[in-house]
Amino acid sequence: MDVFASLFMFWLVNIAHSLTGCALQSCSDLHSNPLGGNTAAYLLLIKYRRRYRSCLAVDEMGETSSVENEFDDWFIESLKIYNNIHEYQLEHPTRVIEWTSEKTICVAGYSSDKNEILELLLPLKLFSDDNQGLCAERDFKVVHGGFSVGSIHCLKHIPGTRCVVTNDGFNSNLQVWDVGGDDCDVIKRTGVLQLKSASSDKGVKIAPGLTGGPCVLHGSQISDIQLTELTSGKPLYSLGKDIPDLLSSLQFVSGSVFLACACNGDLYVGDTRKPSALQNNPAGGREGVHWCMGVKTDLFSSDPSSCSVARLSSACQVVVSDLRDLRAPLCQAQLHVQRKTTSDDFMKVTWAPALDNCLAVSGFDGMVQIYDTASWRPELMEFQPLFIHQGHMMSDDQFDTSSAVVTTHVWHPSRPRTVLSAAVDGSVHVWDWVDKATASC
Amino acid sequence: MAREVRCKTVEEPSLVALAKTHAATPSFKNKTASGSHLSNVHLCISSSCFLSGAGQDVGRSCILVSIGGKNIMLDCGMHMGFNDDRRFPDFSYITQQGRLTEFLDCVIISHFHLDHCGALPYMSEMVGYDGPIYMTHPTKAICPILLEDFRKITVDKKGETNFFTSQMIKDCMKKVVPLNLHQTVQVDDELEIKAYYAGHVLGAAMVQIKVGSESVVYTGDYNMTPDRHLGAAWIDKCRPDILISESTYATTIRDSKRCRERDFLKKVHETVERGGKVLIPVFALGRAQELCILLETFWERMNMKAPIYFSTGLTEKANHYYKLFITWTNQKIRKTFVQRNMFEFKHIKAFDRSYADNPGPMVVFATPGMLHAGQSLQIFKKWAGNEKNMIIMPGYCVQGTIGHKILNGQKKLEMENRQTISNGQSEIERCEPGCCRLSLEVKLQVEYMSFSAHADAKGIMQLIRMAEPRNMLLVHGEAKKMEFLKDKIEQEFTINCFMPANGETTTVITNPSVPVDISLNLLKREMALGGPLPDPKKPRTMHGTLIMKDNSLRLVTPEQALKELGLNEHQLRFTCRVQLQDPHSDPDTLSRIYTHLKSVLKGYTIQHLPDGTVMVESIVIKVSSSAEEPNTKVLLLSWSYQDEDLGSFLSTLLKKGLPSGLSSM
Repeated sequence: MDVFASLFMFWLVNIAHSLTGCALQSCSDLHSNPLGGNTAAYLLLIKYRRRYRSCLAVDEMGETSSVENEFDDWFIESLKIYNNIHEYQLEHPTRVIEWTSEKTICVAGYSSDKNEILELLLPLKLFSDDNQGLCAERDFKVVHGGFSVGSIHCLKHIPGTRCVVTNDGFNSNLQVWDVGGDDCDVIKRTGVLQLKSASSDKGVKIAPGLTGGPCVLHGSQISDIQLTELTSGKPLYSLGKDIPDLLSSLQFVSGSVFLACACNGDLYVGDTRKPSALQNNPAGGREGVHWCMGVKTDLFSSDPSSCSVARLSSACQVVVSDLRDLRAPLCQAQLHVQRKTTSDDFMKVTWAPALDNCLAVSGFDGMVQIYDTASWRPELMEFQPLFIHQGHMMSDDQFDTSSAVVTTHVWHPSRPRTVLSAAVDGSVHVWDWVDKATASC
Repeated sequence: MAREVRCKTVEEPSLVALAKTHAATPSFKNKTASGSHLSNVHLCISSSCFLSGAGQDVGRSCILVSIGGKNIMLDCGMHMGFNDDRRFPDFSYITQQGRLTEFLDCVIISHFHLDHCGALPYMSEMVGYDGPIYMTHPTKAICPILLEDFRKITVDKKGETNFFTSQMIKDCMKKVVPLNLHQTVQVDDELEIKAYYAGHVLGAAMVQIKVGSESVVYTGDYNMTPDRHLGAAWIDKCRPDILISESTYATTIRDSKRCRERDFLKKVHETVERGGKVLIPVFALGRAQELCILLETFWERMNMKAPIYFSTGLTEKANHYYKLFITWTNQKIRKTFVQRNMFEFKHIKAFDRSYADNPGPMVVFATPGMLHAGQSLQIFKKWAGNEKNMIIMPGYCVQGTIGHKILNGQKKLEMENRQTISNGQSEIERCEPGCCRLSLEVKLQVEYMSFSAHADAKGIMQLIRMAEPRNMLLVHGEAKKMEFLKDKIEQEFTINCFMPANGETTTVITNPSVPVDISLNLLKREMALGGPLPDPKKPRTMHGTLIMKDNSLRLVTPEQALKELGLNEHQLRFTCRVQLQDPHSDPDTLSRIYTHLKSVLKGYTIQHLPDGTVMVESIVIKVSSSAEEPNTKVLLLSWSYQDEDLGSFLSTLLKKGLPSGLSSM
């Protein structure tokens, strides 16, 4: 890619403009620039331009006006690249966004002492498709809230109930919460679930059961994965295999079959009906010390090819495979990411539920990237994202937004291009990007 | 703590009360002898009814506060959803006890929105109130314009009677006393009020009400984030006893201003790009200026060519107000005002009615905001038939107006002919339906956008952090939907949070500092008693008699109090019996006690009196025994109230028995 060449060109253009005192024009110049066709490259330019401008601001007068302009740049740009964008500021940052119903999500704080769990009602505007103009409501509403002593690293909603299960990331206990109904807005803790063989202090990954009574699959490493009935706390299944690899992701793909991804990238397929059956699919000598996974399932299809698994490594690689053969990658890619954080804590890859072949990646920096895997190949190559959301780096609050890191993101279950994302500064964005292909025709 | 104290206090305030107080701080902190130091907040007329017209929440604010014996009405709003009596607050709560003027010490209006000031002429002119009405200068200027507008819609257009007249609005405004920010206004000798900047709209204020050491802050509507033309609300750490805040938006997490503006620009831009016309009906003041600044900036940035117009007269009027009240806008506008008036626009030009028929795209800001008459309605009629056009409603619309109808999605409007409008009400009645009405099809795109700037959950927390109130009171909310917020406030700030329902009275007990004068004699006597020197950081107990007389509190020696009040001193003695096993004769036991006490109580006057008693200070000890059990001695102890400490010490000491090695002489 000649991104850097064009970058250089842009610098020259920009400097020239600043010297002649018409920096504003460069924005519109860019639109006619042939390299504007490439969204990724284009967005990168904006980013660099922004840094350059920050320097200017300090040099000239130490005033905020130039900094304001650079936010305005993105603001104007956002008119073109998003259908809708909503930016919210939570009091405390969250690293979980979990759907609790079609219209509500749960967020929770992860600070070391006191935290809040909030259930938020999405604004009407995000749901009404017809007559949207008459719907002015664009704010989140806190419908339920509760207090947690510990931090919340993992939060899962149990389908068909008003329960959420959380873990603090430091021990293997699960906290069970009743989110509450219409009569009261307080979220209350109703119980604690423990791992039968608690073997680590690394925190637990959770996967809600998809069918049958309310139950939850949880574990901190592959060996201690167990299925627990929510109401009784009775263990229904435990793996009982001595594999001490730390667990990074856990998910059911059908009523009884689940996938477990170890931090080293190994993928396991288990079946809660057959405790002895466990299929191991090693990652196989790929780069990266930490791996996590995103699974796309179609519960109504028994075709194993309909279940795609994407594994993301800390070396910014994504390997896609499906249930037919988890060992051989269907396709893979080296992502175009410049890591800003050394922590692997926030790494996340998810499949778009209503958009074919698209996945979202976050956790390396202040951006959420969307990739279309349709063009990816079995051999490792670098690919450019389809879209980058960099709103979390463009907040006009007092935070140092250049160090912003996205903590999590989720897709809207039915709107194809709507994503919710959160960052360490407490911002939560809901955005719906413009599909270039349909916009141009 | 305060509740406990209250239970202990005497129901009937007595003139003389025995009290312990702190020598270092001669204030009267933890014991009140009278029940009058309570601050009552009565909420009698606030409403939590909401309209659901196009997703707008509009209630009615009217709060009655009683503090230190003063009654203050905070806001006097009307409910926009009703056409009958219910739209005005029910003042009978007050008037059944007499006239409003006698009951109320003052009325304070926080800002010019009708749900906060709409019932003011009704209250002052129709119910009758002649006391002072306080509001800020901008509110005073803008409020009558809005009231008159509203009166016109209600009376002239809808033909309602039993409504206030133009003259009443004028008379009412004559009772208004203007407020400046941060200026303390003395309403009377005891009651003072002070206004703080609240953001929200031009002239919006929060008010601090103070009587003696008690205070209440009422926020009205406020906004904690600055916008394009106004600053953020600010208050100092005034630590009021109660902070009263709106909670309509208390459970919301607001979408950023930027995204709202983005949406607005996107809509305008798209319409202009496809060659359509955009109509934005606005009130003369308020959001209009903000939207103009926004469009002006955008046009400049994007090099847009389509013309933007502003209703004739509107610009001048608005500019006039903003120039007048430039101190009420945000810092940026104030700073640049000298070089460039932000309200004089390069791209925005005055509108002429002939422009409406011009071909090609354009954007027009026109008054009035609710499309009930005038220029905005005329333009609307011209443009409504074209689906390329758009109307953006940036504010609230009263029921019955065209604005309200189209916001509810009405696609066909029955409209009165212009001629009949000008001829007035009676004409319409004479006309056959259909001959003077014309039907209008609404094909243009209708957009509703709320730019109202209210503090959300985070904003309320910020304000509490700023003002540090001792109690929090949330009005206009649904209590069961705000349990979490209440818990959160109570946990984070360790203060009480109340959420009274409509018509409910909340009583908050305060802990006021009560200054007390201490007589020099008492202090000298306290000094003479010795002990450590007074330390201003540590409380110290001293005894005295509190006299509450002629509105003053004095702490004096008991002797002086008796003398002043002409009372005789009553003696109060305590007696008790202590059983003791001592195999000696009664006189021997007494001598043994004498020896024992002599060795234990050094520095006290202990006497062995010939009448068979031992005296320690005022404490009398006698020994007796029955003939049957000569070894079981019964000691009789008696002491006066003043020696209570020593007396109880002796009884405890003697209960332990006598040491064996004591000689009897």
